[in-house]
Amino acid sequence: MSSAPRNYALFEAELSGAVLNLALLRRLLRWLRPYRVTFAASAILVLIASTLQVLMPVVLSLVVIDHIIQGESDSAAPDFGMIDLTEWLASLLSVHPLVAACGLYILLQLGWATTGHAHRMTLISAVVNGLRDLRLDLFRHLETRPAAFYDRVAVGRIMTRVTNDVEALYELLRGIGALVGEFVPFFVALAIMLSIDVELTLLLLLVMPIMGSATALFRRTTRELFRKVRASVSALNQNLQENLAGLQVVQLSVREEENLACYGRINAENRRLELTSARVETLYGAFTDSMAHIAIGAIVWYGGGAVVQEQMTLGGVILFTRFIDLLFQPIVVLGEQTNILFRAMASGERIFQALDWDERIHEPDQPALLPARLRGAVRVEHLDFGYDAGVPVLHDVTFDIRPGEKLAIVGPTGSGKSTFIRLLARFYDIPDGHLFLDDIDVNRIHTRDLRRRVGVVLQDFHIFSGTVHDNIALGNTAISRADVETAARRVNAHTFISALPQGYDTNLSERGQNLSQGQRQLLAFARVLAADPEILVLDEATASIDTETERLIQDALRTLTAGRTSIVIAHRLQTIQEADRILVLEHGRVRELGTHAELIAQGGLYQALHALQFQDI
Amino acid sequence: MRASLTRVAPFVRPYRGRLVLGIAAFGGSRLLEALVPWYLALGIDRIAAGSSDLTLPTFGILLAVIARYGVVTYARYTVRSVGQHVSFDLRAALYAALQRQGATFFARHTIGDMMTRAISDIALIQRLITMGTILVVVLVYATLVGFGFMFYLSPSLTLLMLPPLPFIYLYAQRSAAQMADTSREVQDRLSDLGTHVQENLSGIRTIQAMVQEEPEIRRFAATNQAYGDAFYRQARVSSLLTAWMPSLAALCSVTILGYGGSLVLSGQLSVGSLVAFFMYVAMAVAPFRVAGFIINLFQRAAIASDRLFEVIALEAEIPDRPSGRTPARIRGAIELSHLDWQYPDRATPALTDVSLGIAAGESIAIMGRVGSGKSTLLKLIVRLLDPPPGSIRVDGSDVRDYPLAALRSQIVLVPQDPFLFGEPLAKNLTYDLPERELDAIWSAADAAALKETIERFPAQMATVVGERGVTLSGGQKQRATLARGLIRAAPVLVLDDCFSSVDTATEDHILRALKRVRRGQTTILVSHRVSTARHADRIVVMDQGRIVEVGTHDALIAAGGLYADLERTQREGGVTEGLTPAGAGT
Repeated sequence: MSSAPRNYALFEAELSGAVLNLALLRRLLRWLRPYRVTFAASAILVLIASTLQVLMPVVLSLVVIDHIIQGESDSAAPDFGMIDLTEWLASLLSVHPLVAACGLYILLQLGWATTGHAHRMTLISAVVNGLRDLRLDLFRHLETRPAAFYDRVAVGRIMTRVTNDVEALYELLRGIGALVGEFVPFFVALAIMLSIDVELTLLLLLVMPIMGSATALFRRTTRELFRKVRASVSALNQNLQENLAGLQVVQLSVREEENLACYGRINAENRRLELTSARVETLYGAFTDSMAHIAIGAIVWYGGGAVVQEQMTLGGVILFTRFIDLLFQPIVVLGEQTNILFRAMASGERIFQALDWDERIHEPDQPALLPARLRGAVRVEHLDFGYDAGVPVLHDVTFDIRPGEKLAIVGPTGSGKSTFIRLLARFYDIPDGHLFLDDIDVNRIHTRDLRRRVGVVLQDFHIFSGTVHDNIALGNTAISRADVETAARRVNAHTFISALPQGYDTNLSERGQNLSQGQRQLLAFARVLAADPEILVLDEATASIDTETERLIQDALRTLTAGRTSIVIAHRLQTIQEADRILVLEHGRVRELGTHAELIAQGGLYQALHALQFQDI
Repeated sequence: MRASLTRVAPFVRPYRGRLVLGIAAFGGSRLLEALVPWYLALGIDRIAAGSSDLTLPTFGILLAVIARYGVVTYARYTVRSVGQHVSFDLRAALYAALQRQGATFFARHTIGDMMTRAISDIALIQRLITMGTILVVVLVYATLVGFGFMFYLSPSLTLLMLPPLPFIYLYAQRSAAQMADTSREVQDRLSDLGTHVQENLSGIRTIQAMVQEEPEIRRFAATNQAYGDAFYRQARVSSLLTAWMPSLAALCSVTILGYGGSLVLSGQLSVGSLVAFFMYVAMAVAPFRVAGFIINLFQRAAIASDRLFEVIALEAEIPDRPSGRTPARIRGAIELSHLDWQYPDRATPALTDVSLGIAAGESIAIMGRVGSGKSTLLKLIVRLLDPPPGSIRVDGSDVRDYPLAALRSQIVLVPQDPFLFGEPLAKNLTYDLPERELDAIWSAADAAALKETIERFPAQMATVVGERGVTLSGGQKQRATLARGLIRAAPVLVLDDCFSSVDTATEDHILRALKRVRRGQTTILVSHRVSTARHADRIVVMDQGRIVEVGTHDALIAAGGLYADLERTQREGGVTEGLTPAGAGT
């Protein structure tokens, strides 16, 4: 049996919601490891780029202002050989040192641009590739979860794990990259500043806790606020969407004014929240710029004194002012990234949670080898089944289907008809010894083999993106165009297919929206006929289809079931009457089994159901 | 571009005072900001001169910063609030305009399209007002102030700052276009990805039943790769911009360094001014760096505005111009005379020369194939579609002369597609009049054979339906919408094929209830089943937009026409959705 079924409501509750989850990051590393060389290259490049970035203000302040203009000779500030390099360049090209400094400045700028770009692109490439792999693995994982899993979850919400949640991880990694890009220059600059004047550097660093706490306060205030803003935006959209979808009902119920007023209230609430968050954001935004300017004031005040006491050169003071942005930018970026980090952690948890969903159909260790052609006998013995423990859907179902027999299953909604065919398609696990194909227990057959022998046509048939041909052949190269056409002709699908713009090569849009209900049914028939399974399982469509198409479908159904074991959940009288035997299910139990004539004569449930249709109301 | 943005102007006008104040405040904040390099230069020059009197420069900077904080916060908030108010008004206007539209409009536009206009287009206009205004104003001020201060410090050096600017502008503009293109590409690929997963997981049972997992995974790998490639391309454009834009701007820096340095050496410029120049040039160059993005923002907002006002400017699809001479209370006599109707963009008419008199209190069943014009006819009666003048009269007055609200609350149409709102059942059933008593709601539910179903829900009438609540079956939805129609006890009830997903036994229950509650009132009912239609006083058979037969069940059977054919087909081998006894639906 499969593990306990999932309750989607519990999914979110299973998440820890931790802001920093190291286990999660470690797990993420598994997908990034293949690109570690690229990551390493990126790390080296960012070091080079940061150094070059920091050297540019050094050229301005220490080389041009101190050395060339002020003529300082005994500066304590580390110039990283920039002064000597400038002098060497000047004598080499026999130009004024000022010109040489300009040349050096340009070289540094070009070097920074090139290495910075290379750093970003190597990082992006590694991240893009790693997450591409993660997304593909996630998709593969979801694609192979059994039907039981999908009974419990909303596809839309699973979908966002593949799209939005992977996107959020992307933002996380890019954010970490951005932080590295800010923090490496920060530390290089910090080292230079410390070597020039420890006191002033420490004084400036005092601003950091102020900015840090302002940032933290801002994030705390806005986290809840932003959540409310997002909720109000989605309430706004949901209201509009629903009212457009039900506009006809609104107009017929003369509810326009009331609904407009209701939308107005949601709209006003949204505006109130947006304005509140605007107020908080502007207060914070201007605060960070201001701190940088205040730091400049502090440098002038302190630096001036230090220069007079000859503890600092003028160039040193100027260098400090040029480093201000490098010093504060990381805190601002860090503040910006915390929200992303927070979101990404939650997303990461959702992704890995999805990867941990381990529902699977039990496969035999040593699958039975099936003969080239099954005879098509189906035996059901004392089969019990329920989706949820304690809520049985099938009780002690026992019957045989002979090779080549046509069996119609009828019964009220909820009688277990669909469940039975789902079990035949092995969408769910059942215990050994209850369901046999040609006397082989289905649990001994690999699902892949079984599904090639049991052709299933569901009510809601899925049209694959691709051409008509692709949709019939389904990637089986053994099926030629001629085979496809033959199959289509035999199920009356050839006529409408030929009328399509490119015939069999017409691309069917997503979910086959350009085909009618009846045409889709015929296409599904052609698909099964081309695959030629030994056993056919069909859930007949309930939708009303026009009489002409109905006739084509009935005719096709006859072709499809000819000489093939067929199990049809029948909704149409004609289908029922053409079946060899009829199985009547009620509340998950076999109530009656026999031919149409027998069951009518028996005067039981079938007869009652049958009579109802013609009963004189 | 101008023409389309002018239509936003009336929406901005109510807030123009506030906007002007905000813009003025921005000007002030820029001047205050420019004082920082000014006092820094003063400080540096005093330091260079060996003076230790740094009180003025230090406190000058501090005061400028504090003043600027207040002014710039006020300015930013003010302009943003204008953006919020304008988008609030735009949303309300769009909502009101959409509510006036009908079938013709929604045949041409999808709901998704309208949602995009409501979300993205309004957001773009809002961004234009906040970001656009801020940027334009800030940048114009920054350029003026930056160049002003620079020119004062050294006219010749300032002039040398000019040559790189056109290149910076051109490069920025080109990059902005590239960014827009690649971002759109990323969005498109992301949406492909979403569609692909959605489509795939929805069809997972077929995929697995057909053993198509591997081909599908391969197909997804391609979609996935396309997205990664698009992202990489976008990142590349953005990274190149990050690399080369400062490099272009560095042409200015190098000029300051070289020419400015030589001016300092020759004593024509102070060291402090040289440093201030670096800061001013950053202020002055910024506009050229972001000009491309602003132009792009204006262009996109103009397109958004066009799309938005295309809808907002629309007149009501069905004009409501009551003549004032119609009866306040409808009795229920309906007269169709030579009614022709053709949908726009269709080659053939939907209805041709339809004439029929329905007496007050009569029950009429309409039968006919899909596409024979039944639904169109019903929609014309309640003016969901607008009939030609004089072709439909109710109690002797043209339907077009009735106030729309009066017409639709007395001629109640239950449409073919059952639509329920994601709200509690009670609210859905009494949608027209939320304050109705619960008893009335229950009795309508009873008449629609929905009482037992609702009683089985734990929350009963408070059960929320739809995506966020309980999913109802097709038949349950149909019965709920039927109850929503019945509760209104209107003089005329029009049911458009409301039993197609309801099993025969339940339908029987409903038909009995209908006979009881609709006694003496006009009822028109579309059905595919002879077993339903035969109970009506008269049966109307339609084919290709014309009425081909009218009469009682017996008369039509005797006539041996289309109705008699239908009766025979259904008796001998028709559709048996009815194989579900009453109450079995869950």
